[in-house]
Amino acid sequence: MGKKIIRQVAIYGKGGIGKSTTTQNLTAGLIEMGKKVMVVGCDPKADSTRLLLGGLAQKTVLDSMRDSEGDVQLDRIMRTGYKGAKCVESGGPEPGVGCAGRGIITSIGLLERLGAYTDDLDYVFYDVLGDVVCGGFAMPIREGKAKEIYIVASGEMMALYAANNIAKGIWRYAQKGGVRLGGIICNSRNVDRENELLRAFAKELGSWLIYFVPRDNIVQHAEIRRKTVLEYKPESNQAREYRSLAQAIEGNEHFVIPKPMTQERLEEILVEYGLMDLVEDYKI
Amino acid sequence: MSEIIDRPRYACALGGALFTLRALPRTAPIIHASAGCGYSLYGALSAGAGYLGGGYCGGAAWSSTNVVEREIVFGGEERLEEQIRATIELMDADLYVVVTGCMVEMIGDDAAAAAAVFRDAEAPVLAIPTPSFKGDSYAGYDMALSGLFRGFTRLGAEKRKDTVNLLGLVPGQDAFYKGNLTELKRLLEQLGLRVNTFFGEGETLDNLRNASEASLNLVLSDRYGIKAAQVFEEIHGVPYRVLPFPIGAAQTADFLRAAAEAAGVGTAAASALIYREEDRYYDYLERIADIYNDIDLQRYAIVAGDVNYAPSVSRFISDELGWIPKLTVITDQLNAEETAKVQSRFSGWESGVYPLIKFDPDTSAVQRYFPLAWPQSANERYYDSFSPAVVIGSALERDFALQYSLPLLTVSFPVTNRIVLNQSYAGYNGGLSLASDLITLLMSWR
Repeated sequence: MGKKIIRQVAIYGKGGIGKSTTTQNLTAGLIEMGKKVMVVGCDPKADSTRLLLGGLAQKTVLDSMRDSEGDVQLDRIMRTGYKGAKCVESGGPEPGVGCAGRGIITSIGLLERLGAYTDDLDYVFYDVLGDVVCGGFAMPIREGKAKEIYIVASGEMMALYAANNIAKGIWRYAQKGGVRLGGIICNSRNVDRENELLRAFAKELGSWLIYFVPRDNIVQHAEIRRKTVLEYKPESNQAREYRSLAQAIEGNEHFVIPKPMTQERLEEILVEYGLMDLVEDYKI
Repeated sequence: MSEIIDRPRYACALGGALFTLRALPRTAPIIHASAGCGYSLYGALSAGAGYLGGGYCGGAAWSSTNVVEREIVFGGEERLEEQIRATIELMDADLYVVVTGCMVEMIGDDAAAAAAVFRDAEAPVLAIPTPSFKGDSYAGYDMALSGLFRGFTRLGAEKRKDTVNLLGLVPGQDAFYKGNLTELKRLLEQLGLRVNTFFGEGETLDNLRNASEASLNLVLSDRYGIKAAQVFEEIHGVPYRVLPFPIGAAQTADFLRAAAEAAGVGTAAASALIYREEDRYYDYLERIADIYNDIDLQRYAIVAGDVNYAPSVSRFISDELGWIPKLTVITDQLNAEETAKVQSRFSGWESGVYPLIKFDPDTSAVQRYFPLAWPQSANERYYDSFSPAVVIGSALERDFALQYSLPLLTVSFPVTNRIVLNQSYAGYNGGLSLASDLITLLMSWR
């Protein structure tokens, strides 16, 4: 039997779209399916694993590098959360100083050296901050890291702009390596014709809408309690939705090199699905 | 697609800035960059500048933050503050200047803010951004000087009509900068001028501090020092004038007349000085008349060098030695305006004998253009070989010179095969040095 391959997955999307919430609930769903999962938060704010850990009290990879003279132990930076979820926060500099992008590169390198990628893992998720502003934030999709990308989006225009830009980044890396787009996850904002719009958008990218997560205030209620929905209200509809998302990811075989569209084409799609008025509102 | 440069004749902006600071009296540079930047630049530039050495603070002992990954991720300003504090404590200097490398500039460290913490220190602490992605060592000279003119030179000084500053000779990149500045200052002082060269003999930091008293900046280069002169004009209201770097009697006479006119001291003073100096100059130069005839009389010459040396050495060959310059390669990376300016220096020569002029930063360019300047042998029975001839360039011309069995005199960077102390190639004394070095070379080559 060959060496087990860890599915390394990066989640991208516009800031505030719900990447961390989606990733953690999805993780909880996979864990319930018996999968071993590690979540690596790639955001200097270090808030990507809060729901799985029940709080923020985690030492980040970079904190430990800053505080100790190179003597970093894995157990100091990796915490175990909900049903055995392994949680790591990359961390980063204070706002306005240093280089957060380099921080992510350093952090992932350090995790590898410390042996965080153990063979028992089925999944590693990278939850990357919204604006992929420099090469460092693309580190999770470089060769040898995440092969699968999911973009979290909604029917709002700026979310789709961001998703299209992220697709451009994926396209660039896909030319040289094995990274592929696994699909678009819609984190619904209850925008008119959102499902259709996202389907059309994903199709235009050459990909697909892998899952439509409906909006439900129970997500906010769970977040206030520092829990995933699956932990907070396991029997709720929303918990079932996240379980279905986990199943969709587990069974996904639809990986493509995306075909990012021009701004004109993107706006055409938006107009077609009734967002024309919003387009006017967004003109600066 | 970018092109490579084959063996460039300069280092990076940080290197140029470091060697500019190294040439200032009692000045301690503080390098805010990765470990290795300072030492490699010291190694590259010192050897290339005729073994200039580390100066007051010692090249290998330059103060450096040696930032590592931790500072890159979290920012290096605290580390820089620590290093400034330690440097002030350990190194006795009258001026501390923080210069920055690429990596700390990319992450946006605010070196000026770190330096500002020490505003009440006994000696001033300045920060000058010198990221090497902004240019080569010549650009670093301009960055360093501009920063000093902004942050160190006194504001609001009363102007003195008789005071000029001399810019355009880049310490280190010009291995002979100190001798050259000393000679040019000697001449200008005889016009009744007070002269600040900042880096020449007998200068102190007061020359730099009070440079704003000047009424004129003379820039002896078509590229180096012009940006610094523009900053000077903007901050201190002093105009500048660009003149070619003068070597030998003809060029120095032109220089003195133009400088006298620009400084408003009258051409009569210049004419009297030129008369005196030429009398002395030719008294020495005529000594080579016999040997000049004895060693094949007229020579062909190939010249390679920077925008200061290449045109001036070529003209010296043509106008003063009466030799035949065949090919001159200018090795800087220039924009169109600078290229046109340098090109214009190849006109109005007394001899009317000009070389083929090429602008190319590649070291292999000399080899590449040589067949255009001289037909190559096609195994004819009677081939007119390129002889007698001489190459005047840098140590990088060694392979070319060896291939054609030509003697080589190194005058432009890198000058790694000579020890340069107080020699000069500028002015009258510099012309005599160049003539004597060339003839000595040919005699020893026989």
